[in-house]
Amino acid sequence: MKKRPNDSIRIGVLFSETGVTSVIEKSERLGTLLAVDEINETGGINGHALELVSYDPQSSPAKYALLAQKLLLEDHVQVILGCYMSSQRKAVIPVVERWNGLLMYPTLYEGFEFSRNVICTGAAPNQNSVQLADFMLRTYGSRGFMVGSDYIYPYESNRIMSDLVFERGGEKVAEIYLPLDASKDNYEVVVQKIKQTSPDFIFSTIVGDGTALLHRAFANAGLDPRKMPIASLSTCEAEIQQMGAELAEGHITSAPYFQSVDTEANRRCLENFRKRFGDASVTNMCWEAAYFQTHLLANAMRRVGSDNVADLLTVLPGSEFSAPQGDIKIDEHNHHTYLRPRIGRANAAGQFDILCESESWVHPDPYLVSHTLQDWSAPLTTLVPTARP
Amino acid sequence: MKHFEGTPRLLRELRSLRVLVFHPDDHDGQELISQLHRIGCQVKAYWPPLEQLPEETKLIFFAIRPEILTMDLPWLGREDTPPVVPVVTYENPVIVEAVLKLNAFGVIASPVKSSGMLTAIVVALSQSEKFRERERYISRLEQRLAGQRKIAKAKVILMKSKNLSEEAAYNLIRSRAMAKRLTTEEIADALIKADDILGG
Repeated sequence: MKKRPNDSIRIGVLFSETGVTSVIEKSERLGTLLAVDEINETGGINGHALELVSYDPQSSPAKYALLAQKLLLEDHVQVILGCYMSSQRKAVIPVVERWNGLLMYPTLYEGFEFSRNVICTGAAPNQNSVQLADFMLRTYGSRGFMVGSDYIYPYESNRIMSDLVFERGGEKVAEIYLPLDASKDNYEVVVQKIKQTSPDFIFSTIVGDGTALLHRAFANAGLDPRKMPIASLSTCEAEIQQMGAELAEGHITSAPYFQSVDTEANRRCLENFRKRFGDASVTNMCWEAAYFQTHLLANAMRRVGSDNVADLLTVLPGSEFSAPQGDIKIDEHNHHTYLRPRIGRANAAGQFDILCESESWVHPDPYLVSHTLQDWSAPLTTLVPTARP
Repeated sequence: MKHFEGTPRLLRELRSLRVLVFHPDDHDGQELISQLHRIGCQVKAYWPPLEQLPEETKLIFFAIRPEILTMDLPWLGREDTPPVVPVVTYENPVIVEAVLKLNAFGVIASPVKSSGMLTAIVVALSQSEKFRERERYISRLEQRLAGQRKIAKAKVILMKSKNLSEEAAYNLIRSRAMAKRLTTEEIADALIKADDILGG
C-alpha cells in the first residue's frame, strides 16, 4: 500500500436512497456503516481508516452501471459494496469485470452466476428456497399460489418452488407477475383471486414497495395468515417496519438471519447498532450480510495489506467470520457464502419467531438445477424446531 | 480440412442479409445493432417482439427475457421460420428453457461484445440451412419408402391373383406404368385400391 500513515482507504457504496427498493437498500447501507465504524474504532486497516464513497443509484440498473464506473474510474476505489435486485447487479458486473474492481453483493438471489470479480454473501436458492418449500408443504399443504415482481428472480424462484410442489404431488394454483411499480388495485385483483382459489399458502417473490401493498390487500380481504400464510424469501424486518407489524403477523419467511437470532455476536452487534442509530433501529438478513461482508473485506485487507483486487482475491475466498447468524465462510470455488438457513414467522412486535434453524452452515450451490426434497432430507433433519417460550 | 475453394457463399451474402433484432433499446441492444451495421447487414430492430415477421427476414437476434416464455409468437416453429440467435443475460434454467423454445441455432451472451457476432451469424445461418436440407431429404426418403411399400404390396396381389413370379409381377407393373405414362408407385396404388374394392 503506497499510503502515508494518515491516508484512508476508500470503498465504494451503491445502495439506493430513493426508488422502489430503497427501504431495504437503506438498511443494507446502515449495516455497512456500522461495520465500517467498528473497523475504524479498532484501528482501521493496519492504521488506515476506511472511508466510504456513497452514491444513490435510485433503484435504477442504468444508474448503478454509471455510478459503478464513476467509483472505479474517478474516485479510484477498488471495491464496491452494493446492489439489491438482480437487474442492478447484472448492470454492475460488466463494469467491475472491465476495470477489475470487486463487487460484494449482500442480497439473496436466484443463482446461476459466477464472476471472478463478485462475491455473493446473500443466500442462494439451496439455502432458502428448499427449506421454505419443505416447511410450507409439511405445515400447510401442497397447493401453492405464486405471485412475484416481474423480473428474473421471481421467475427462477417460482421454477424451483414449482418443481418442489410437484414433487410432493401438489398443485400450482396460479403464477402471476406484477410490474415493480404495480398499484394497490393490481394487488387487490391478485388477492381476490387468492380468495377465490383458496390455496394452502401463497409464495410471494414480490420485492420493494409492493410487499406492503400485497400484505395490506391480504388483510383487507379478511384472509387469515394462520390458515393461509404468505411465504417469502425476501420479506424481512425492514418491509415489516414499512407496512406495520399487524399486516405481517403470522406470515412466513426463510432467511439465514433474523434480528431475533440468539447468538453472542448478534447481541453485541445489535447493541453497537442501537448505540449509533437509536434504540428503534431494526436489522434484517440483508443488513446482516452487508455488515459481515464489510468485516470480511476489512480482514482480507489487513491480511494482504492492500485494497488491490488481485491480492484480495487470494484471501477472500475461503475466509471465515463469526457473523450475527453464526459462523459463515466464503466458498473458495464459487464465491458464494456458507450460510445458516432458518424459518421465521412474523410476530406482533414486527420481529420473527424462529421456528426452525439449521444446526450447521449449508454449502452454497448456485448452479444446482434440480432441487429435490429428498436431497434435502439429510440437512433437514438438522433443521430442528427451536425451543422457545 | 479441404483447401480454399473461394469465400463461402454465406459470408459473401452478409451485406444483403436481412436481420431482425428483437431487443430493448439499452446498451446491449445498441452494441448489437452497431456491430450488425459494421458487418453491413440490413437491420430492423423492434421491442417488444413482433407477432408477424417482415418479408424476407433471414435471421433474428432475440433478447431473452422471462416474459417471452408466456408470449405468443405465431411465426415460431414453422417450416420457413428464420434461424433465431438468442441474446442471453441471465444464464439460469428459466432462461435456458426459453432458448430451447426458440429452437436456437446459436447463442450470444450479454454483455454483447462485437467479437463473436460474425461467427454466430454465419454458424446460425449455415446450421439452419443444413437442418432444412436434411429435413427435405428426409421427407423425400419417406415418400420413396412409402412408394416401395406400395409396390411390394401390389406385387403380392398380382402374384396371388395371376399366379406370377415376383419378377414377372414387377415387370407387369412397370410395363403398365410405361404404357399409361404413370409412375410404378401410381400403378401400384391403383392395383391396391382395385383389390380393395373387389374384396381382395
